[in-house]
Amino acid sequence: MPLSDIVPPPEDLADLYDNAPCGYLSVSPAGEIAKINKTLLGWLGQPEQNLLGRPVHDILSFGGKIAFETHLAPLLRLQGFVDEFALDLVDARGDKIPVIANATERRGDKGEHVFTRLTVFRAVDRRKFERTLIEARIKAEAEAKSGHAASELRDQFIAVLGHDLRNPLAAIAAGSHMLRRSGKLEARDLTIVAEMDRSAARANRLIDDVMDFARGKLGAGLPLQIDSRVPLGPVVEHVVAEMRSIHPDRVFEVRLDIGHPVECDPDRIGRLASNLLANAVTHGAPDTPIVCEARTTGESFELSVTNGGPPIPEGQRDKLFQPFFRGEPGGSQHGLGLGLFIVSEIARAHRGVMDMTSTADETRFRLLMPRQRER
Amino acid sequence: MLSNDLVLRRNNVTISGSGPRTMVFAHGFGCDQNMWRDVAAAFEGDFRVVLFDHVGAGRSDLSAYDPQKYSRLDGYADDVVDIARALNLENAVFVGHSVSAMIGALACIRAPGLFSELVMVGPSPRYIDDDEYVGGFSHEQVEELLEFLAENHLGWSAAMAPAIMGNPDRPELGATLTNSFCSTDPDIAREFARATFFSDNRGDLPRIPARTLVLQCREDIIAPQCVGEYVHARVPDSEYVLLDATGHCPNLSAPAAVTTAIRAFV
Repeated sequence: MPLSDIVPPPEDLADLYDNAPCGYLSVSPAGEIAKINKTLLGWLGQPEQNLLGRPVHDILSFGGKIAFETHLAPLLRLQGFVDEFALDLVDARGDKIPVIANATERRGDKGEHVFTRLTVFRAVDRRKFERTLIEARIKAEAEAKSGHAASELRDQFIAVLGHDLRNPLAAIAAGSHMLRRSGKLEARDLTIVAEMDRSAARANRLIDDVMDFARGKLGAGLPLQIDSRVPLGPVVEHVVAEMRSIHPDRVFEVRLDIGHPVECDPDRIGRLASNLLANAVTHGAPDTPIVCEARTTGESFELSVTNGGPPIPEGQRDKLFQPFFRGEPGGSQHGLGLGLFIVSEIARAHRGVMDMTSTADETRFRLLMPRQRER
Repeated sequence: MLSNDLVLRRNNVTISGSGPRTMVFAHGFGCDQNMWRDVAAAFEGDFRVVLFDHVGAGRSDLSAYDPQKYSRLDGYADDVVDIARALNLENAVFVGHSVSAMIGALACIRAPGLFSELVMVGPSPRYIDDDEYVGGFSHEQVEELLEFLAENHLGWSAAMAPAIMGNPDRPELGATLTNSFCSTDPDIAREFARATFFSDNRGDLPRIPARTLVLQCREDIIAPQCVGEYVHARVPDSEYVLLDATGHCPNLSAPAAVTTAIRAFV
């Protein structure tokens, strides 16, 4: 028989209603079940006569009942339809059947409410999947929260530790100062005391760097305390004097030409100069002077530190200002690698930039920043 | 203190109609000011009609949502007082549906004089049973409800919201795409449900200074008749009307009956 001769029997609409691959439910305006198909009755495990005329609430879970009243019913009145509404039905044994429902309001000629029609799809796996997603999200949120709390605790811990380490360091510095002043030390002892001073100063700088880093605010920029009344000349001179006392074997030169006030955080500018000088001591040639220059123009403030010695290798130049960068491996004097990173953060907080030139003759780091923050 | 403008924008306050007195309509949990559509229109001829959305619902300013403030109904009542003051209301009528009936009561207690009449539609001072008191819910049922709400996004889509909000004059633009009415951020909806269904304001009922009308429906599973009668018995200057309507939202299912009852009262 040719295929074209096969004529499908006409679809039986009553059978389609009753045995559709989804549940059909009609609810009266008073909330009573007016009609229900066999598919849905089968899911619920109920004979038709048990449900006709009964409140629709009888086949809804508690959450479903409330959502029906607070969401579904008003939405149907307002817009005539509701799509993809999650509900839990309750079967004859009291077990929940997760479903997704679409609903429309059948209205009469005058817009009056005649029936609410619901089409119901079993959605056990889909709802389970969604529930898993929600649980995963709640868990992720909780973990993010506790991770944040842990990092806050760590930052506080570092801040307290750093603060507490300063006191014993100050005691060591005071002790070595008294020893030097006593006049009873041999030349060899004086060398040892000077070495102790250097170590204490280096420990202080490490603490400063770690604490700034731990504040965790570096991403958003360092907080500044702007004070344009403090003259910057003495600030720079003080930092250089400190370096001289720690490194008496090195030569430091200061060239100042500061004729205008600078809107800046003087302590931070001092830190920047101090970190650049320490960097020059570590990496510069011991037999050439380290030159610290600071000057103002009508527009800008400029501070630079220059040292002799071999140039910085090309491959390292663009990484200098990254945190934890420590040049060639194995160097013992390099510390944590935070010094230049903090320099660049201080520059950034002052809306300035750091630049670096390195030739066979000398290496120079320079801060260039506007003298006034707002124009 | 927010400026009047910010308050009106925060709660998406809309004003229509005109008359010597002002009537403020407040929506309950699950919907927004749209649910007062039919009833509010009936009063526009002789009242100044004020509609608004609670923060988190409808087209309110979601960025104003403060989980601490809105963890209690008092936070919502503060907003009602803000709105009334921003509009310089005196002796106005407050009509609150469902949880907003109690929110209105709290606002009346907090700032007497703003509202001289209070209409409570389907009120409940406490949803959970307590000894002799029948609220209609058990603690476990409320927990189940909160869990259920977490799963149902009810047409809410954060990506959709700006499109709807960008066309406030043409809500049908959103309606063709999704459920545009009564959309609520699901997280906020869950917290609003928590604030609502765990509330206990029975002690506030005797302190309501305004003349009060309690409107009750039959077969309301959220606020059963015995709860409406309880409210009427404890609010000092109150009247009670059992509407010829079923369910929890007579303002939508029987707007004419609600309108008639309010008109007879004011």
